[in-house]
Amino acid sequence: MKARKVKGLDPDGPLDANLRRIVAVRVAELHSFGKAVLDPSDVEALHDMRIAAKRVRYVLELGEPVLGPDAGRGAKRARSLQDVLGEIHDCDEGIPRVLALIDRLREEDVAAVRDSADPTASDLDPAALRRARNRRKYAGLESLVSYMRARRAVLYAEFLRTWAKFERAKLGARLDGTGR
Amino acid sequence: MARARPVPGFAESASFREAAIRTVEVRTEEVFEHRDNVLDISDIEHVHDMRVATRRLRAAMEIFEPCFPKKQFRGLLREVKVLADTLGARRDADVAIAAMDRVAAELPVADRAGVNHLLAELRAEQQQANEALAGLLGQIDSDRLHERLLAVAAETGAAAEVPA
Repeated sequence: MKARKVKGLDPDGPLDANLRRIVAVRVAELHSFGKAVLDPSDVEALHDMRIAAKRVRYVLELGEPVLGPDAGRGAKRARSLQDVLGEIHDCDEGIPRVLALIDRLREEDVAAVRDSADPTASDLDPAALRRARNRRKYAGLESLVSYMRARRAVLYAEFLRTWAKFERAKLGARLDGTGR
Repeated sequence: MARARPVPGFAESASFREAAIRTVEVRTEEVFEHRDNVLDISDIEHVHDMRVATRRLRAAMEIFEPCFPKKQFRGLLREVKVLADTLGARRDADVAIAAMDRVAAELPVADRAGVNHLLAELRAEQQQANEALAGLLGQIDSDRLHERLLAVAAETGAAAEVPA
């Protein structure tokens, strides 16, 4: 996700004012995903919010000596958000990967079992099942997918709590100068 | 994970540009201090530390981009992004392997074959990512990225008459 441009930065101007300008844009960027992420299946919005949270975190970590302890607390909250969204992202990438592996292993087995039959065979003997060399692999991988789906649901619930805390903290108003 | 080193004189900087120069210098040094042993896959913390330092440098460069000569800085930022992505690919494999090891340990032995198959794929990816990283680190050395990052900070400071 491309970062929104921060307008009006002045390299020769004071550090404090420039940082607050960046914080305002980055926090607004983060909040812009607030509605979309309430849909747990909106994988793209969750991913984009993670990137936005990372940008908020880094500008607050960097600016803490100037912006004060609110920035430090904000950075920690942004990091919590980034961390839980990162774990969700890992599940969103990992589940399709494991499912694709299961499909690939099954296709290999189908081919091996089919190829064990005589080309003129009218049916397939169940004994051909022994040619399914990957059969012991499915169970563990199916269990893994179940675990990852359950973990994703747990993480999403944790994300909603983390996001609610972040919103309650009203970080933007505290740090962009408008709340002062 | 190593904490970011404080940037001396940051809060007292007279301008956004002065803070930019100080920050890019410190964050650059941090990246290259973590360079040793990153290719050692038996201790995954080395690559993690260098990746975190690179992400901090990248973030600082993005924040302070308007303070530096546009064309030169954009090129350097691109190189830092490539380094961050290459370290990230290694780290992703490291983390996935550690997670699958934990899952495998919880499964009955009879059900581990599939996860072990996945682990073998992940280890091959880790090896590939490590080879890509080795190549890139060699390239970065020959292209003198470390020195060029410090030079752009020093030259910007000199041009703007920022105190060292």
